[in-house]
Amino acid sequence: MRARVSAYAGAQLRDYLVGRVPLTAVATGLAAWGYVYTHGLTWSAFDATGGIDARVQLQQAFDFVLASFAFLAAAFAAHGLVAKHRRRGYDRVIFSRPLSPMRYYAQGFFIAGLGAVALGSMAAAFYAAAVYPVSVIGVAGYVALGWLSIGGLAFLLSTLTVFHAPLLLAIIAGDLAFDRYVSGLRASGGGSLALDVAQYVLPPGHVVASLSGSFARGASIDPRALAWPVAFGAICIVAALLLLRRRPFGT
Amino acid sequence: MIELSHVSKTYAPTFGRPSRAVDDVSLRVGAGEIVGLAGPEGAGKSTLLALVLGHERPTSGTVRVDGIEPRRFVEREGIGYLPQPFALPGGWRVTDALARLAVLAGVHATQTRARVDAVVKDLGLEDARRRRLRSLSRDARVRFGVAQAILADRRVIVLDEPLDGLSDDSLDRLRDLFITLRAFDRAILIASRDAAALHRIADRVTPIDRGRVRRIGAARPTTPVAIEAVFHLAVQHGAEHVLAVFPTAIALGKGVFAVRVSGLAVLNLGLRELLERGALIASLAPANARVEPNALSPMAEAAS
Repeated sequence: MRARVSAYAGAQLRDYLVGRVPLTAVATGLAAWGYVYTHGLTWSAFDATGGIDARVQLQQAFDFVLASFAFLAAAFAAHGLVAKHRRRGYDRVIFSRPLSPMRYYAQGFFIAGLGAVALGSMAAAFYAAAVYPVSVIGVAGYVALGWLSIGGLAFLLSTLTVFHAPLLLAIIAGDLAFDRYVSGLRASGGGSLALDVAQYVLPPGHVVASLSGSFARGASIDPRALAWPVAFGAICIVAALLLLRRRPFGT
Repeated sequence: MIELSHVSKTYAPTFGRPSRAVDDVSLRVGAGEIVGLAGPEGAGKSTLLALVLGHERPTSGTVRVDGIEPRRFVEREGIGYLPQPFALPGGWRVTDALARLAVLAGVHATQTRARVDAVVKDLGLEDARRRRLRSLSRDARVRFGVAQAILADRRVIVLDEPLDGLSDDSLDRLRDLFITLRAFDRAILIASRDAAALHRIADRVTPIDRGRVRRIGAARPTTPVAIEAVFHLAVQHGAEHVLAVFPTAIALGKGVFAVRVSGLAVLNLGLRELLERGALIASLAPANARVEPNALSPMAEAAS
């Protein structure tokens, strides 16, 4: 009598909708409010008929909110997926059943990603209909990219340690800060090949962040820009699954 | 079925002294047996059970379930397991949680509802069906924990402190349940601080303290009680009535008799008649049970 893991997908989707969607929505709302507040925007700025300035403002605001959403949705989708179970001891009950932790968590991660993509697409469709046209497919692709790269990292950290959340924040903050530092050096004529390589192989948060506008407008993306985020995410996910295969429970 | 051979488990924290939770323990639980693991808190019982589940790996020695490494066995067949402490998301409702866990246990979709209803009834959780886990009383939580452990038909059942914090009614209910769980191909391992309660359920009780088993009896084949069974009945006085009520009983001396019965109903009828005749029953245990000498001696002295 083997576990019916596929049949459990509905329960995992419900967990995502009930547990993660409200968090993602609230956190993205706060990020959007922060952007509007720090840029001194008023409601009239969101009137797309207000000329080119209004449209640029709208696009910039949307790019920022989309990037925030992709980060937050990916982080929340994988947040504590494994670590929370371990810390609270749920894993002891669940994995006394005839099922593989690898399969169970891989499915949970995949379903949370699907949920994030669906949520992002719906929000983009609503925005496109009510405010300003954006590419819904592009938004879906961007959220999927964020889920694969940032979500993959969050999944790996959750498998490694109970301190996954602060560690993820520190890694992403460090990545963005280093990217800004290297870009600044390069702009002032400095920099070196070593720094360029280091910037490229960093966790790809900075790459993903820079692509939100292109995806939202449905522009063509240079595949080379996508290579490292996709490869990085895939490596993280495979490493997490291998760890789940080898690591004892309750540790 | 379950076999631990010279198993030790040492926890070595990054800072601080290593501590040995289990020290050179050997234990065997055969198919058809119910074995108790009795010891105070911190004795190493939960660690031993975690080793049987494959949740922990031994520092030395070997653990095998049905001849294979525990984790492989669990992923292949599953084990009915009640951990201590028992934890699931508090927002889950009782029947929803059982339905989820039944899916993961591999219970067929068409049988899930019936199976959930059956364990809810067996464990007396009817009034708590729609309640959230976080709102359950301690007693109901333990019963829920046992319910989820027996959702599917498993060859190995491992229960950590299933008798802890239960009311007398719940204790009686669980004792009856454990008797029905006994099967010729099933190994049941129960850990508890309550050695006396274990003696009433288990065929053997193994005392454990500070990670060491104080004395182990070798496993031996057992007789399933569901069909026909032999019980050891000890009476403090009124021994002369035993043979009148149970004509096939064999006197073992010091007020102890081996009583063969065809079922629990027959046994209970006989016991009632014995009490009505004025006999004072000191203890009753399945014939395969090994009662610790310390527990037996005061009773035997009284009976002599």
